[in-house]
Amino acid sequence: MTDYRQKYKMTPVVGWLLNDRGGMTLLAILIAAAILVPVGNLLVPESSAFHVPTWMVSLLGKYLCYALLALSVDLIWGFCGILSLGHGAFFALGGYAMGMYLMRQIGDRGVYGDPILPDFMVFLNWKELPWYWYGFDMFWFAIVMAMFVPGLLAFVFGFLAFRSRVTGVYLSIITQAMTYALLLAFFRNDMGFGGNNGLTDFKDLLGFSLQSDGTRAGLFVASCVFLGLCYIVARGITQSRLGKVLIAIRDAESRVRFTGYRVEYYKLFVFTVSAVMAGIAGALYVPQVGIINPGEFAPALSIEIVIWVAVGGRGTLYGAVLGAFIVNYAKTFFTGVMPDFWLFFLGGLFIAVTLFLPKGVIGAVPAFGAADRQSLFTTWRKRVAERRANEGGKA
Amino acid sequence: MSEAAVIETGASDEPQVKSARAETILYVDGVSVTFDGFRALNNLSFYVEPGELRAIIGPNGAGKTTMMDIITGKTRPDTGDVLFKSEIDLTKMDEAEIANLGIGRKFQKPTVFESHTVFDNLLLACSGGRGVFQALFHRLSDAEKIRIEKTLITIMLEDKRDEMAANLSHGQKQWLEIGMLLMQEPELLLVDEPVAGMTDSETEETAKLLRSIAKDRSVVVVEHDMEFVRDLDCKVTVLHEGSVLAEGRLDHVQKDPRVIEVYLGR
Amino acid sequence: MRNDILSVLRRSPFSMCKMHEIATRVMGALGFVVVLAAFVPDTAQAFSDEELRNIAEQLDDKSATKKVAVIEEMAADGDPRVAPILKAMLDGDLYVRDSDEHVVIATKKGKVYTHIDIVSGEVAGESSSKELSKIKINNRLRGALRDALATLNLFSPDLAVRSAAVEQIMDARDPAMLPLLLRAIDREEDETLLARMQLAEATMALAAGETTDERLAAIAVLASETTPQIRAVLSQFVSSAEAEGYQPEVVAAAKDALASVERRLSTWQTVGDVYRGISLGSVLLLAAVGLAITFGVMGVINMAHGEMIMIGAYTTFVVQQALAPFLSSGSAWSLAISVPAAFLVAGAVGVVIERCVIRFLYGRPLETLLATWGVSLVLQQAIRSIFGATNQQVTAPDFMSGAIEFSTGLVLTYNRLWIILFSVIVVAGIAAVLRYTAFGLQMRAVTQNRRMAGSVGIRTGYVDALTFGLGSGIAGIAGVALSQISNVSPNLGQTYIIDSFMVVVFGGVGNLWGTVLGAFSLGIVNKFLEPMAGAVLAKIFVLIALILFIQKRPKGLFALKGRAVEA
Repeated sequence: MTDYRQKYKMTPVVGWLLNDRGGMTLLAILIAAAILVPVGNLLVPESSAFHVPTWMVSLLGKYLCYALLALSVDLIWGFCGILSLGHGAFFALGGYAMGMYLMRQIGDRGVYGDPILPDFMVFLNWKELPWYWYGFDMFWFAIVMAMFVPGLLAFVFGFLAFRSRVTGVYLSIITQAMTYALLLAFFRNDMGFGGNNGLTDFKDLLGFSLQSDGTRAGLFVASCVFLGLCYIVARGITQSRLGKVLIAIRDAESRVRFTGYRVEYYKLFVFTVSAVMAGIAGALYVPQVGIINPGEFAPALSIEIVIWVAVGGRGTLYGAVLGAFIVNYAKTFFTGVMPDFWLFFLGGLFIAVTLFLPKGVIGAVPAFGAADRQSLFTTWRKRVAERRANEGGKA
Repeated sequence: MSEAAVIETGASDEPQVKSARAETILYVDGVSVTFDGFRALNNLSFYVEPGELRAIIGPNGAGKTTMMDIITGKTRPDTGDVLFKSEIDLTKMDEAEIANLGIGRKFQKPTVFESHTVFDNLLLACSGGRGVFQALFHRLSDAEKIRIEKTLITIMLEDKRDEMAANLSHGQKQWLEIGMLLMQEPELLLVDEPVAGMTDSETEETAKLLRSIAKDRSVVVVEHDMEFVRDLDCKVTVLHEGSVLAEGRLDHVQKDPRVIEVYLGR
Repeated sequence: MRNDILSVLRRSPFSMCKMHEIATRVMGALGFVVVLAAFVPDTAQAFSDEELRNIAEQLDDKSATKKVAVIEEMAADGDPRVAPILKAMLDGDLYVRDSDEHVVIATKKGKVYTHIDIVSGEVAGESSSKELSKIKINNRLRGALRDALATLNLFSPDLAVRSAAVEQIMDARDPAMLPLLLRAIDREEDETLLARMQLAEATMALAAGETTDERLAAIAVLASETTPQIRAVLSQFVSSAEAEGYQPEVVAAAKDALASVERRLSTWQTVGDVYRGISLGSVLLLAAVGLAITFGVMGVINMAHGEMIMIGAYTTFVVQQALAPFLSSGSAWSLAISVPAAFLVAGAVGVVIERCVIRFLYGRPLETLLATWGVSLVLQQAIRSIFGATNQQVTAPDFMSGAIEFSTGLVLTYNRLWIILFSVIVVAGIAAVLRYTAFGLQMRAVTQNRRMAGSVGIRTGYVDALTFGLGSGIAGIAGVALSQISNVSPNLGQTYIIDSFMVVVFGGVGNLWGTVLGAFSLGIVNKFLEPMAGAVLAKIFVLIALILFIQKRPKGLFALKGRAVEA
């Protein structure tokens, strides 16, 4: 592959974007979608073959949020080897922040007509708005919180976990415990987040009705934009020296320590960034699906995110986006046509991808450097053999 | 056992200990560590002087790797002092801090970043800012580039510059790891079995490499291979059951009856 | 006389609230009981046949108030023939026969009513419904009938009926019952029941007692008891005693008694918490111990572990269904057969999973985790497709139903006790297999040094498969036990998987005793938190505590140290 950086002495940002065939393809598709889908929905008449129905705009918008979530998981798993089984928690927290804003926007149009308190609080006989609901009547505050809260949780959790060097499956298990604890907590009515039912019956966002086609198209465009921006940020991180350190941590953590890097800070940084991205994805998701409930914290959903990344191809970023689209399209398809088959398919996918496609779909496409990866695959086989031999030798 | 070592290094009385400390780059004194009832190190004491090349030998289980773990902060000793440059207490620091002080370590098993090119491996080891944000906004300077190219020549891998480290041979990985240590510009290098699995010619090259490295820094080499230790031509410390058994020139320690017993007794 | 009693009640130690309650009752039905109880002669079967027939005929009076009075009168007598009459009236089976105006109990069979004479208790003819007119009752009468029946039950020849009546009186603590109770005490011959009656008497005497001595005596009786009921009686008395300004020694004695009852109760509470904790711990242990083998010994993260438990539970269900025609319900045999069956079925599934999936993934724990999660989804859906998504019913054998109940409120159910015992047996069995069998030796050898084990002739692949099979089989056995206490549904495994992992991680990987300790300490901590914080919050606290604990001891309570754990 030509190294454009050296060839044209370009600024690094342009350089690593041009070097990235998959990423360029992704960005081009996103730009095209951000223009064509709203046009097809709003301007092309319904009779036309090019008309994009509103349900499809919402569905694609939802997929884009999932794609952003997958991107955030790939950033830590693909590049730093941190397998989080609790990323759904950050997504849901972002979603709840947005949901709280949307709840406050309902105002006195709720069933009980209370100008301040959301319906479920009136129902529970609450007299006052809990302190943590303050400020969520302002859009900017909700957006900041949608990023800050997941980021803060990731920072605290990561600080504790990485400092004491909880790695590998142990980390996976405690991230799962984290989201499980949040699931239980958010189910409680006392938490003040609507308990079992979550937050729903939203009316409008920044004054635009959530039911209108225009708002939906707008949310779709916003999803495209944020996915593109987050892709660029993630790509920038992975291409920097920091990204190289992350990959080095993934491959040989103790070597990195002995080279003088504070591994925990690097992990903490990327984990927090990833959680913020997941939070953004959640905030974009909620107005498009119209509900957020504790079910989003379910550990099973968090594990499903990982398979999106694995299907697409971990460690490539755009692969995660592709994987999210493939698996979620399959989900929409199967749950519509033969719901009983969906779990067989998903389960089979988990097994098949880990056994036969360790580099995902992207790894199997020659245009994205499959030839190169083929050799990586063989070296991987070699490494497994080596490791098994060493396992014996060490003890 | 350690008495012998103390007498040999002439640090048996107070004033001399102080002077010994003043001159040492590495001062290990009375270090013991126990794993689940097994005493891996037992009152281990020895000193390394600045600029010295030292070989450490000993049978399996003598505590060589554990000693390295303690110096580099991977394992905390139960008792004892480990001082760098006579004053910095290493027992309270973690691996990264110790590495940044200027102590480099090569593992028994060659450990390089397999998904990076040889060039990037050296770049990552390159001394300089280790902070997260420094790394995020780091841009390769010409000076760094020149240093990396020089090191590539030193470790005889200049033609493998853009090769993935995973594709190197075992010996080349060993060299790359030594090269990475050089990029860190350490004052003290700890090298664990650098010639394990190398061909004879590679072993010879490696000995040459280590001798040249030792010209401007202190190097401690742990090794089994007696030929290689002879090639290094330096002072030798013999470890046995977690303490120093003997110390001195190779031909001197080889005549020591206890050393003979430990090696032949097995 | 009635006024006298009322005035006694007014002077008696009741709070205003209690006074109001009594006043209301006096206005209503129960006032009569007080009156009547005072006149009750001290012999049973006071009614002659004629009297009984006459008084029963008055039950057909138009006025409900009059009817109530009659009911009370009949009940107060203690005649054993009264109870069936009142019971029939409550059930709507009491009629007046048009032909002779006699009151009869009539039971319907098809269109024919069989008459039973209320005096002799013998069949006295048949008729259609036309010849009978029902004695009507309303809710007020129903209440009066129930009260009257309770009174009568005190004199029932059946010991169990009498005990139940005493408990009912204890709960109601109606001072009006005191005279009846005293009469019952005179006649009672059963020692245990007598003690209960005296306790009941004391609770009422405490409320109705007038002199300091009476109160102190009642307090002394109550102070030796240890039940939540008595605590309630005493604390109620303490507050009313303070409000009414009783003699200081009475208040002090009552307070002392209350304190000592509370002290003993809280000890029992702790015992109960520990028991419940051990009970939960044994469930966690059963769920986790198979995982301790696959994760701890082999280093394999088996996310399908919960589904192995589920398969064990479904095996129990299938075995029970298959054996249903041959065994009486509640037989222990179906469970006895389920245990080996579940072990074999789950173990076989485990071996298949190991051979088909996991063996390709050794050394890649994260990939193993994902692949086995996939396996778990497939197994769940398979079970759902075969058996449906609804819960299946597994009936408990007779020896597992029932409970040991203590008066202190502690209930030890037999199924929990058996599960505790069962978990101990399972763990002991595993420890024995690992330690004393050739397979256990080979397994430990492969764990410690795969290459060396291979070169001394151990078939490592074979050992891997069997080890995984063993872990899965044990999960299956756990499923048999869990089918007795939780719903057998396709989601059974999911409810246990996170807890199981927590136990293993907390206890320390590769250490069976760590798992045991981990399970029991998590169970007990959880149950101690529950009364304070509620079940959900307790669970959340435990999860958070575990997350923090792993920071301190990343490898669990009993981690191996040293160089060997490096990789």
